Amino acid sequence: MIPQNFEYSAPSNLTEALALLAGGNAKVLAGGMSLIPLMKLRLAAPEHLVDLSRVPDLKAIREDAGSILIGAMATHYDIESSPLIRSKCPLLTEAALHIGDVQVRNMGTIGGSLAHADPAADYPASLLALEAQVKIASAKGERTVGMEEFLVDAMTTVLEAGEIVREVIVPVEASGTGVAYQKMVHPASGFAIVGTAVRLRRSGGKVAFVRAGITGLAGKAFRATAVEKLLVGTAGSAADIQKAAAAAADGIDANSDLHASAAYRRQMAKVYTARALMQALSRCA
Amino acid sequence: MKVTGSFTLPVERKRAYELLQDPDVLARCMPGAETFTKIGPDEYEMKMKMVISAVQGLFAGKVRIADQKPPGQFRLLVEASGKVGFMKGDGVLSLVPANTSTGLSILASEGTDVRFEGEVQVGGTIASVGQRLLDNTAKIVIKKFFDKLTEIVGETEQPVGQLIP
Repeated sequence: MIPQNFEYSAPSNLTEALALLAGGNAKVLAGGMSLIPLMKLRLAAPEHLVDLSRVPDLKAIREDAGSILIGAMATHYDIESSPLIRSKCPLLTEAALHIGDVQVRNMGTIGGSLAHADPAADYPASLLALEAQVKIASAKGERTVGMEEFLVDAMTTVLEAGEIVREVIVPVEASGTGVAYQKMVHPASGFAIVGTAVRLRRSGGKVAFVRAGITGLAGKAFRATAVEKLLVGTAGSAADIQKAAAAAADGIDANSDLHASAAYRRQMAKVYTARALMQALSRCA
Repeated sequence: MKVTGSFTLPVERKRAYELLQDPDVLARCMPGAETFTKIGPDEYEMKMKMVISAVQGLFAGKVRIADQKPPGQFRLLVEASGKVGFMKGDGVLSLVPANTSTGLSILASEGTDVRFEGEVQVGGTIASVGQRLLDNTAKIVIKKFFDKLTEIVGETEQPVGQLIP
């Protein structure tokens, strides 16, 4: 279907873009991989689109003071193919490789994906495990929020009218960390039915550090702190992993839809969490 | 799609029941409600604008309250349709005094658990392409409703759990 009429602006700098968005009626167009289909189905009918693709510097991926800074308009392909990200925060490379298909990865952006906040998106699980931060910009200024705070609910973030995701800030990975992202893929959409991202380190024969994020299971991706606590301090045996992974869905109000019931999702969350923990442990130095 | 859940309101059961039947309160709590007019006994007409992420839709519909058994139970029937699809809901709300007792008998424990159990049908474009997100959307709408109701209760009601002289 053809979208409803809308006004289109393609500002050439960020100040101009933010001024256009400050009006309140405009919607940001990033990669358009979620927004354009919604417009074509006429489920979304924004009056005004502000295309950020001509704003310079929003695509940059660089390192600064112990962090990797990723511009909001960096595509999933930019991220999966960035040597800097592969060497400094490899979990994000893995997350990007899992997104949708080649076409979506060529166009879709990290900022667009985060702002859209699909409950089954791939990035949030990894960004939670990475303890990343999101830099938000508006005509009034900038603010930075932690990934956990950024996600409010399904399709809902802390972004207010006139605000955009400007940059994602990921701490450089400590050496010896093993990372893994294990995802049960919905075959048609490529979205995660469930997906678990894990980072962990060993020290003196014991698991010394664990961070786990789970997507697809609930309204928003979340840090699986119960899993983390159960695994830290253990030897990381197969039994320890099973015991920790069994807590993956504890206290979670699981999603239920045509593709997977809540009970099935909870069970798969445990299975995929165990796989991610095992793979990450095998990759530890 | 089945919808179940419960929320706790910080007022006693009789008051909670009254609030949930009050059209002014319902109008303020219904997310995105633009109009909410009485068209018959226990029957209301409403227009609402739903905005979830990039998706937004205008819906027009009816809300009916039936099978009232004050102060413990009533049935809520909702029907709405718009360009992007239609929605039909039928649920029973049960009000149970919440056990918020702190163990001290001099503390009043007057909260009320509102439990709901119902069936929601969604059709049209929104259901055929948004199936994956319907469950979450329903949860968000219900949560917003009770959050707002709790807020209204906080503005107008006496706090409970206070010391009884």
